[in-house]
Amino acid sequence: MTTRTRGVASQDPPLAIGAEHVAKSFGHVTALRDASIAVRPGEIVALCGDNGAGKSTFLRVLQGIYRPDAGRVIIGGQEVDLTSVRDAQALGVDTVHQDLALAPDLSTVDNIFLGHEIRRRGVLGGFGILDRAEMAERADAALKELSIALPSLTVPVRELSGGQRQAVAIARAVMWSSKAVLMDEPTAALAARQSRIVCDLMRSVADRGLGVLVVSHDLPAVLEVAHRVVVLWRGKTVLDAPAADLTVPDLVATMVGHVKEAA
Amino acid sequence: MSDTKAVPVMAEPETDDRARQRTPLQRLMGARATWIFLLDIALIALFTALSREGVFLSWLNTKALLLSGAEALLLAVGLAMLLGAGKFDLSLGANLVMSSVMAALAMVAMVGAGAGVGVTILAGLVVCLGTGAMIGALNGMLVAVFGINSLIATLGMLGVITGFALVATGNGQDVTGFPHQLQSGFGLRTIGGIPAPALLALTVALAMWVVIRFTAFGRHTLAIGSAPLAAERVGLRVTRHVMSLFVLAGMLAGLAGFIDIAHYQTTVINGHNNAALQAVAAAVIGGTALEGGRISIMGTIWGVALAVILQNGLVIIGVSSAYQLMAVGAVLIVAVGLDRMSSRRP
Ligand SMILES: Nc1ncnc2c1ncn2[C@@H]1O[C@H](COP(=O)(O)OP(=O)(O)O)[C@@H](O)[C@H]1O
Ligand SMILES: [Mg+2]
Repeated sequence: MTTRTRGVASQDPPLAIGAEHVAKSFGHVTALRDASIAVRPGEIVALCGDNGAGKSTFLRVLQGIYRPDAGRVIIGGQEVDLTSVRDAQALGVDTVHQDLALAPDLSTVDNIFLGHEIRRRGVLGGFGILDRAEMAERADAALKELSIALPSLTVPVRELSGGQRQAVAIARAVMWSSKAVLMDEPTAALAARQSRIVCDLMRSVADRGLGVLVVSHDLPAVLEVAHRVVVLWRGKTVLDAPAADLTVPDLVATMVGHVKEAA
Repeated sequence: MSDTKAVPVMAEPETDDRARQRTPLQRLMGARATWIFLLDIALIALFTALSREGVFLSWLNTKALLLSGAEALLLAVGLAMLLGAGKFDLSLGANLVMSSVMAALAMVAMVGAGAGVGVTILAGLVVCLGTGAMIGALNGMLVAVFGINSLIATLGMLGVITGFALVATGNGQDVTGFPHQLQSGFGLRTIGGIPAPALLALTVALAMWVVIRFTAFGRHTLAIGSAPLAAERVGLRVTRHVMSLFVLAGMLAGLAGFIDIAHYQTTVINGHNNAALQAVAAAVIGGTALEGGRISIMGTIWGVALAVILQNGLVIIGVSSAYQLMAVGAVLIVAVGLDRMSSRRP
């Protein structure tokens, strides 16, 4: 059995994003006890675990939403102290959320540039006037680079299909991250064909040299798309192994804590 | 390289259809603002035909229409901005009254102390804007910082402010006795034939249209109304933004208060009890979404115009203006109802 709980201290190629021995409690609930993960540039790492294992909490720690009670967070090879989402963004880490974090009434262009708007040059820019043409052009280029085709970039995203919206969310995260993209169950709400598209997108993102950390319950897809798999069990990292060494039954057994008890 | 990972193009013919780009004409005809504008034109034609010698469309009456719409427009535009972010302010009318009372008291005191006319009027303006902004900031704090539902918070504030205004004026005695130049120089002044307060209100509305349409502030407002959590996650400073929207709406209410005392040369403490609700009606009739994420400043202008035209027109043709309340209410329900039905997909 591949039950190696590997340390993540080695940093020869600087980590895109990682964490060591993170703990986080909410009052009496211990969400994370000893969670570790390491994602190198160009690598797709899947984070798996049963419901309530602490995956979302772990991701939020890496994003700066929660501050860990103990442990270290590493971005771009450096230990960092994140106090908000803005900190993580400034360091080049962006997220695709479980429930799409898009504003449904805004267009694709506006969503991609939300919080990163480009102003006109000169006096108009001084008044906060946006450079719509420039934003549209760059959004178009970013989508093309990921081979995402949309019927229109200016209609509200609520009019797009679920897969298209997820693609916009991914393009958005990729556009503003220079180190790593985190994804919380990006295919949970999608049909099979759209899930495939999202998996292919993950590969294109990794090919651009970004680290990809994806939380997913779709184990066959995880084993196919990810380079490595990390399993959380009750807030603790109990497995960190190459995907190629794993099978779905292995994973399931580890996720429900079976292996841990045997060890 | 990337060509080895070519992703299948997201062709989904069954669903793509909905997301097609609309032509400018389709967009114009799809906008509520357009329909309310046409309704305004129809009503103007109707009242002109029904009024004796078409007096409804006389320059004198048009000026009266514009003047009476100025305050309502400022409140409605401020409210539309808040609605865009998914927030309410039911205290705008009380804010208007409170601001005008504070300014009137300040100006009376200054006149008593022998201050010059110009300085006194300027102080009145500053007090109006300052009071409005302060009340707005208080509302913003309750909503954005303490997380109280905006309907409840501003309903509470409506009571508090109204009571305060009554106390400050010895149980609601309207305040008078400030420089008459305020009325002659601004309240009843016309510039190029158009009442100055109306010009001011329209300029403000235009500025807000630019803000919503062309600035990051506008995008952020709509994003917060559309998906507050998403806005937060994207890194927008939601608390600060909601605060500033309440302050903005409060200042516009203060400005409306200034117009009020300039127009009537006295405070009108009991004349604005329904002002906030009328502002909601005007904004929503014009196509601003109650649930946030969508603002139509143009629609708000035409929504305010609808209320003013009905009120004035019914009086001119000798019908009780009580029917205005019914008509505006009915239009509100029909406009929003039609929207609901057309957006419900099979
Ligand atoms: N904000 C919170 N407050 C209190 N408990 C929380 C909070 N977030 C998560 N938890 C708890 O922490 C545990 C891990 O949750 P979560 O990270 O959402 O797990 P997963 O995403 O793996 O399903 C659960 O028991 C959950 O109830
Ligand atoms: Mg989760």
